[in-house]
Amino acid sequence: MFLSAVLALAQPTAQKPFEFKDGDRIVWIGNTLVEREQRYGYWETALLAANADKKITVRNLGWSGDTVHAEARGRFDFDKPDMCLKQLVNLTLELKPTVIFIAYGTNESFEGKDGLSKFEKGLEKLLDALKPADARIVLFTPLPFSKSASLPDPKEHNLRLGRYSEVIRKVAKDRKHYLADLFAEATSGTYARITGKLTDEGATGDTFQSDNGIHLTWRGYANSAKVLLDVLGCTHPDVFIDLEPLRKAIIEKNELFFHRWRPQNETYLFGFRKHEQGKNAKEVAEFDPLVSKAEEEIEKIRKTLKK
Amino acid sequence: MRQFIPILLLVLLPSAAFGQAKAIVPDPDPELERKTFVVAPGFEVNLYAADPLLAKPIQMNFDPQGRLWIASSEIYPQIKPGEKANDKIIILEDTDNDGKADKTTVFADGLLIPTGVEPGDGGAYVANSTELVHLSASKPGQKADRKKILLSGFGTEDTHHIIHTFRWGPDCRLYFNQSIYIHSHIETPHGVKRLNAGGIWRFNPDRTELDVFCRGFINTWGHAFDKYGQSFITDGANGEGINHGVPGAYYPTAQGPHVSRILHGMNPGTPKFCGLEVVSGRHFPDDWQGDLITNDFRGHRVCRFKLQDDGSTFAGREMTEVIKSNHPAFRPIDVKMGPDGALYIADWYNPIIQHGEVDFRDPRRDKTHGRIWRVTAKGRDLVKKPKLVDATIPELLDHLKAPEQWTRQQAKRVLKERGAEKVLPELVKWVEAKKWMDGAHDERHALELFWLALALGAPDTLPKAGLNAFHQLTAGCLGAKDANVRAIAIRYVGEGFILKGDRAKAPIAMIGSYCREGTSRERLEAVRVLAQAAHPEAATAALAALDKPMDRVLDYALWLTMRELEPYWMPEFKAGKLTFGGDAKKLAFALNAVGNKDTVKPLVALIDSGKVPKENLHGLYLLLTQIGGPEELHKVLERAAAKGVSPAERDALVLAVEQTVRLRKVSRPKDLDIITSLWSEGAAAHASVRLIGLWKVEELRFALEAGATAKAATPAVRATSLESLALFGDAKAKEFIMNLCADPKPEVQRPAIIAYASLDLGGAANFAARYLEHAKPEPEVADLVAAVVGRKGGPAAFAKALKGSRFDSPDVARIALRAVRASGQPADDLAAALTAAGDLAAARKPPTPDEVKAMVADVAKADAARGELIYRRKELQCLACHAIGGAGGQVGPDMTSIGASAQPDYLVESLLIPNKAVKEGYHAMRVVTNDDRVTLGIKVREANGLLVLRTPEDKEVTIPVKDILERGEAKSIMPEGMTDTLTKQEFADLVRFLTELGKIGPYAPNKARLVRRWEVIEPSNANLNAFRRTRVSAAAEADNAFAWSPAYSLVSGDLPLASLPKFSVWANTAEQTVLRFNLDVTTAGAAKLKINSVAGLSLYVGANPVEPKAETILDLKAGVQTLTLIIDRSKRTEDVRVELDDVPNSPARVSVIGGK
Repeated sequence: MFLSAVLALAQPTAQKPFEFKDGDRIVWIGNTLVEREQRYGYWETALLAANADKKITVRNLGWSGDTVHAEARGRFDFDKPDMCLKQLVNLTLELKPTVIFIAYGTNESFEGKDGLSKFEKGLEKLLDALKPADARIVLFTPLPFSKSASLPDPKEHNLRLGRYSEVIRKVAKDRKHYLADLFAEATSGTYARITGKLTDEGATGDTFQSDNGIHLTWRGYANSAKVLLDVLGCTHPDVFIDLEPLRKAIIEKNELFFHRWRPQNETYLFGFRKHEQGKNAKEVAEFDPLVSKAEEEIEKIRKTLKK
Repeated sequence: MRQFIPILLLVLLPSAAFGQAKAIVPDPDPELERKTFVVAPGFEVNLYAADPLLAKPIQMNFDPQGRLWIASSEIYPQIKPGEKANDKIIILEDTDNDGKADKTTVFADGLLIPTGVEPGDGGAYVANSTELVHLSASKPGQKADRKKILLSGFGTEDTHHIIHTFRWGPDCRLYFNQSIYIHSHIETPHGVKRLNAGGIWRFNPDRTELDVFCRGFINTWGHAFDKYGQSFITDGANGEGINHGVPGAYYPTAQGPHVSRILHGMNPGTPKFCGLEVVSGRHFPDDWQGDLITNDFRGHRVCRFKLQDDGSTFAGREMTEVIKSNHPAFRPIDVKMGPDGALYIADWYNPIIQHGEVDFRDPRRDKTHGRIWRVTAKGRDLVKKPKLVDATIPELLDHLKAPEQWTRQQAKRVLKERGAEKVLPELVKWVEAKKWMDGAHDERHALELFWLALALGAPDTLPKAGLNAFHQLTAGCLGAKDANVRAIAIRYVGEGFILKGDRAKAPIAMIGSYCREGTSRERLEAVRVLAQAAHPEAATAALAALDKPMDRVLDYALWLTMRELEPYWMPEFKAGKLTFGGDAKKLAFALNAVGNKDTVKPLVALIDSGKVPKENLHGLYLLLTQIGGPEELHKVLERAAAKGVSPAERDALVLAVEQTVRLRKVSRPKDLDIITSLWSEGAAAHASVRLIGLWKVEELRFALEAGATAKAATPAVRATSLESLALFGDAKAKEFIMNLCADPKPEVQRPAIIAYASLDLGGAANFAARYLEHAKPEPEVADLVAAVVGRKGGPAAFAKALKGSRFDSPDVARIALRAVRASGQPADDLAAALTAAGDLAAARKPPTPDEVKAMVADVAKADAARGELIYRRKELQCLACHAIGGAGGQVGPDMTSIGASAQPDYLVESLLIPNKAVKEGYHAMRVVTNDDRVTLGIKVREANGLLVLRTPEDKEVTIPVKDILERGEAKSIMPEGMTDTLTKQEFADLVRFLTELGKIGPYAPNKARLVRRWEVIEPSNANLNAFRRTRVSAAAEADNAFAWSPAYSLVSGDLPLASLPKFSVWANTAEQTVLRFNLDVTTAGAAKLKINSVAGLSLYVGANPVEPKAETILDLKAGVQTLTLIIDRSKRTEDVRVELDDVPNSPARVSVIGGK
């Protein structure tokens, strides 16, 4: 009974395409799904290619294990919720985004029904805190889990993910934010091959290929890039021309930016041991021109795609 | 050859290379390095591989083919902007079996500081910064071109803390560690795993199962399993030697809900270690089997420890080094047994080891070298390299009988990778054919098969027909004659039964039976594995351990298990459904472990029942203090005032009441008459006086006013009375104290101002300033200054009050300045005001680089022996904060091997500018509480709403987190200017002494178990009166009334007699000295003391006299034993040196207690 209820909720609703603008700066926050995307770059590549007529930059701030409460970001302040959230919000605002992609809910869902209201409050709080950016917000629902050796039966958990997705839908509706409903698309949309059975087993098949049942493999990212475009309402060709040069440039940019915003040895460079190595912190800022240069390379390739 | 260019430049352009003072960049010729090795007798060392075959090895592991995989990093410690991360995993191979690598393959590159590598599953598991990845090559023998991210979200806050120490456990799970500063958040299909501190992870890649095996540690760079699967752990920053890894246990610096109690290592006071391996196999002599090898990378030594059973845990003793060297770049950091039975050592080869204290870009950092050394036993045959990869399954199963742990483990890995489908049917056949019960073989063969079966997913993956064989195997392990096999089988069977969701009572009862019936180690494993059963019965089962004698680790294990099981047993207990069989001892243990307010009622009932053994009663009262309300505290005070309670117990109880009132703000009991009956002497009396103020007991205020002003009052009584009065905090108290602040008698005035500081800071600052103008330069001046400075805004208020002041004595200004520095508060204005008031020369300035250089040059000509005496001077306070060989204060880092790791320029700067570079784990915190008091200290732990700091006085202070207004980083806890009173020569001598610590020579770490930390009786009037009332030998009695002061041996182990206080009790009697030290006896039995000379000595063990001999055999009971020496100074001039040693075949496990 529950299953059908969740499925009913999960029907993708007609929504106008998300409108990207020339000069958009997207900041992408979320958990492992977002963090790993920067290493593979398929989603970002597809996004840029589908909008090749506009200059768009993406800054990926995904962090494994993260939640709407920014639990993964506190470092030495891990036990101070305000400090955790501040880390995430300040960093996002510093990047002056015009668009913020927010992809949470997977990790929160382990708290089950009891955690739903905490999740909703956390999401509201995060959105309130991000208001000063005055950016267009896109809320993503999580991807469902799939059957794997590590997760022989994802059914129960997918019900939970369905409930958390519903919270995200509600918040998106209330706040008039754009909803990028990955969960609905994967469980009952075009990419769910067999609807009923698929919800039991999660999003199997190549589109959302996963080794452990919860994270996409590189192939999973590559194959589901189309899904990302669909949930954002981007028009795109079925097959892109060779985007490897663009993807490589994006990965290069992401790596440099990663060294900029999440450098190693933070304790010594910026943390409580900065009196020892703080003099080397200036090096970290030296990544900025390198990121800009990598961005120029992306720009160059984009212009070749435009035609 | 590209790699050689930088070093060539250094040679050609020494001025560039030696830009930093006293750089030591040695000649990199490996043979020159090898020649510096002093090798254990009967062994030799050859070079297996060196640069350019490899550079900067961080970790190494062999694969089943006998190839050596190495994770290496040239980028460490920090990537430079514009630099491409290109660190490598390389494979070294000795194809012609001549003991030297002749082939190198770069398996992977493009990595960022890979700190761990473990080959397996067709490639290698690699630590790649925030990720754990699996790399493999699509074409065998080629470079890796496939990367699978297995786990992500590991912290990188410090690149020598990121995930490291990869190894396959005997269960074929991947164990790896993270260090103290790392915060990791890992998503798995079974939930997000978070670890916000150091710890050991355990990972099953087949099912993406990740859990924390042990919590804590600072730099856990060593983890090895013995042949029974017991874990041993070393730490590169925590000087406690070898640690026994108990599943789920908390170790120093752990985070989590149960940090209030932790486990410690076996060898406190040893240097820090990196890497760990267990000696196993026929190439090594019999008396080396099972010994542990680790590396003192600071001291350029490869060390060996021998383990002995010690109840549920182990005792470890250091043996002669495998290698020691004085080569400044020899940095042994990993150690592994190899396929040929030899021992392999990775040498990171670097004159600079740290990256916190020394600049990331220091040119002395070596980026290009690295060596693998190979240690072999002379005249003993090597082991023939087993052929595993192409072997048949029965051949591989047979290899699980090999005497070499290397072969067994690698054969198991090959079998694991062949998969359940192929291997399990053969394993079943093997078991059914009883090949595992063949009497010629060790029972450990059954254990290896059992591990293999579990690793292959048994019993779930077994065909039905194979279940019986698996059960036979399980029963064989659980029923083995060898208790160590049984013990580890309990761990794995327990996990198997209980974790599979079978929560029935039967398996719990089965495991529970081991808690009572087994050997100590079986009981330990059973108690710990029961914590995983989410069932109230598991608590009852675990408590059965108390039916037999406990030891410390077992007690800890049970405590942890009871806490972890609390959510299951507490509700049942409160509902009256669970009674622990009405056993008062068990109930007391359970309540004590949990110690929350839920347990108040049952605890009172238990105490009132009269069933509790007398020796447990005191502990229960202490527990009641921690959790009880006003009436329970009254009950505790009644107990404290009762007859038959010893003075030490009385002090402990009343201090505990005071502490709990401060921390939990428990209000006063109605009736407080009991307090006056505590006003006798000792700490209890003072605490009870303070309670009057804390509780604002109006009806006793008069007593405090009397205590503050009475002529007969001692300074201590006066101070405590005033402190307590100030706690009333009302106008009446304020007026009363203010009047005393202007009292003509300084002994009244001073404590009054101190107390007044908490009521009116500005007023107190004014009084203090006026007082200092005419004060004598007495030590008490420092207390007064500290009272004002140690408050929020205190330094500013004081500076203001001092404007225009002029002190009669410049020394008063000096004492005050010292107190200001010791406060760790930012107080430049105050320092200037005091300097002006004392008409002192301008304040000290930090030395310029040139000055540091000149001082370093002086060090070369200085004398370490003179330096040691300077180090020991009381006024320098070195010993009060730093230990050597574990003896000394615990506030600052242990100095045992500081000279072998720190460069002289670093030492000079650390003495003059203590805040410039602070050792890991010694960063001070400045906390302002809601009473405006400022506390400075090093964080010990923070949990359950309480912050515990270690203050510069080496005291632990507990502060409720909700009382904290501000918290922030403080400067180094070591005050500036400690060495200002030294002459240039003295300073050079002191640094010289420090530079020698840990190096080969007279100041090397000593393996002997020497008594280094003593206590001595000073000839104070109180002590002499106590002697006169009783007799000198009363000093040996427990609970004696003497005040003892610390004394420490020289690094050599000798305690200089001439420096010890002596006294004559009566006129014309011989002068005497009384000394004592403590031994920790974990298993009772005979032990030996080696005493350098017995002239003039009387020896007492406890209160019992024992005849001292050069080799004195003692029969020691378990527990902490105090040994007292009374020295007739007329009969002795030699220094005192006492060494603890084993008596052959004695079961005793004894260690010398160090510390402050």
